[in-house]
Amino acid sequence: MIIAEWKPIPEMVDKLRGHKKVLLVGCATCVAECAAGGQREVETLAPLLRMAMQVEDNPIEIHTKTLERQCEWEFVEELADTIGEVDAVLSIACGIGVQAIAERFPEIPVYPGVNTTSLAIREAPGLWTARCAACGDCILGETFGLCPVARCAKGLLNGPCGGTRKDGKCEVDENTDCVWYLIIKRAEERGELEKLAKIRKAKDWSNSDHGGPKRMIREDLQP
Amino acid sequence: MSRDSKFDLDIVVLYCRQCVADEFAPPSSVSGAGFVARFVMIPCSSKVEASYVLKILAEGADGVEVVACPDKKCQFLVGNIRAEKRIGYARNLLEEIKMGAERLGMTKGEGLSETQLTDIAEKRAGQIKPLGPNPMKGENR
Amino acid sequence: MSLLAGSRLERVLADGRFAVTVEVGPPRGPDPEVIREKAELLRGMADAYNVTDNQTAVVRMSSIAGAKILLDKGLEPVMQMTCRDRNRIAIQADLLGAWGLGIRNCLCISGDHQKASAGGKLKGHPGAKKVFDVDSVQLLSVLKGLRDEAVQEGGDSIDPPAPFFIGAAWTPFAPPEFYRVLRLRKKIDAGADFIQTQAVYDVPRFADAVEKARDMGLTDKVAILAGIIVPRSAGMLKYMNKNVPGVEVPDEIIRRMESASDNRAEAVRVTVELINGMKEIPGVRGVHLQAIEAEEMIPDIVKEAGLLPRPEVK
Repeated sequence: MIIAEWKPIPEMVDKLRGHKKVLLVGCATCVAECAAGGQREVETLAPLLRMAMQVEDNPIEIHTKTLERQCEWEFVEELADTIGEVDAVLSIACGIGVQAIAERFPEIPVYPGVNTTSLAIREAPGLWTARCAACGDCILGETFGLCPVARCAKGLLNGPCGGTRKDGKCEVDENTDCVWYLIIKRAEERGELEKLAKIRKAKDWSNSDHGGPKRMIREDLQP
Repeated sequence: MSRDSKFDLDIVVLYCRQCVADEFAPPSSVSGAGFVARFVMIPCSSKVEASYVLKILAEGADGVEVVACPDKKCQFLVGNIRAEKRIGYARNLLEEIKMGAERLGMTKGEGLSETQLTDIAEKRAGQIKPLGPNPMKGENR
Repeated sequence: MSLLAGSRLERVLADGRFAVTVEVGPPRGPDPEVIREKAELLRGMADAYNVTDNQTAVVRMSSIAGAKILLDKGLEPVMQMTCRDRNRIAIQADLLGAWGLGIRNCLCISGDHQKASAGGKLKGHPGAKKVFDVDSVQLLSVLKGLRDEAVQEGGDSIDPPAPFFIGAAWTPFAPPEFYRVLRLRKKIDAGADFIQTQAVYDVPRFADAVEKARDMGLTDKVAILAGIIVPRSAGMLKYMNKNVPGVEVPDEIIRRMESASDNRAEAVRVTVELINGMKEIPGVRGVHLQAIEAEEMIPDIVKEAGLLPRPEVK
């Protein structure tokens, strides 16, 4: 899922100052899965922001709504009835959702309440870790199901570098596994170490955002 | 909900039904010196979400105290541990917005009586007093 | 004998001599005098001098600039190129320019992550955007292409070719240890002519690693220079032991530095012993000495290790 985390409250307050009625919009998909922007988080953030604004003598009215997904026009449309009642929107969906609302309702300021950070898995309760870098050229079939683009701090394709710690963690972050250590272990377990001897050439990054803002088309699905 | 004096601190006590005495049957609110305690029963302390306690404070309560079972005595095994983490999280949020972490707390106990619960509320009131009244009082529409 | 790039370092090794390289750290500012002074201090002490490339991601005068300054002083440089800061376009442009300036040795390494730049007294640039467009193995291939096929990474030809004597790093003790010699082989296949290892303090353990490389025929294909960091103090050794992956310091050496009455003298002694130990390992063709911010210790070390004078090469 796409994961995101709350911006510091003072940063949100900074944007809300000067507004009197704000619509706080959540999303029941990715950001709900990572406990940043679902209905529960909307219900937590709304009273929190009301109190934060009151503390600085800037009372604010907060309306709330949680959409199924903020990245689909049909759900964003659900805001049309009530958006006229407010003078700003605070979205705690990922950057896609914030922009969808902003595009559909360009006359009203739309602020992000979260920082979108990664494509991740919920590895364990309360722990989300990056798994995919959306590089547009997936090599998981050659790296034994472990992605070095997303999980190696240096994105090495012929790793590991000399920075693998004694416990197999990465020198950049002691809590993160050296993914090349994991890849080699898996190759060894399968008796396929020789596959790693092949020199992987420099990647073609052009099918990712490095090649420009992505535009994907399926003519068979267009009206 | 009437208050004896506008200086009384309004303390909401969310108590787990497993940690009070069998004969526990308090009135919905009890007045003490400078505070009013409102008792709300919950089936397990783990039913408390950060959003609930924050909403209670946003509605004007001066403080909230969650009362849970002691360590290893939760009837649902880890309910009190979950509650403790959520309360800790909510306290940090309250501190971040300068409402004061002390407006929210958690106490553990078992076989508690009305008097003991009132004492717990009084203790919380004492911790809130230096923070002053809740700025949200009277702000709710 | 046909040489790949014709550098002094290459010739010394081709002549079968035990090579010495020394690291020169560039300044955090723009003053070329810092490098010129180090050049004078180290003249004649080594066959070639490495100028680091934003080591630990801390911004310093560039390796190419430092290398050129050394060249102008009559010392042969080894430029270093990491993968952290430049994409393949900038890398190749810098290599072509470096060659045009007369630089003939290049060490290709992954590079420390930019987070490493913030630490101690330094703020660094931990928020800098990551590049790592190519990794160290791919970088070796790039240099090999520029030299042997006169071709850029993308396929366009260059004229004339840009022949470098190509270096790579080796960290034989980092986990998974068994794989490190396989990675060495990969680097050789990609184009490495010489190796400068991560700092070694455990000579017997290193000898085992080199033996594995020898058994695979790798020491015939590549010249391994053992990396040695001059131990300034017990504190420094303990720090490296704990924090620098791949660096393992035997207790004995830490004890010696702890109980030394004269740190500098003991440091020189330890370094000389390490060098002499390396000389005995078949397949080790030289040493790469690093006296971080203590280059003034190098002359004593090199002299006492019997490495002077450096050989004449045609």
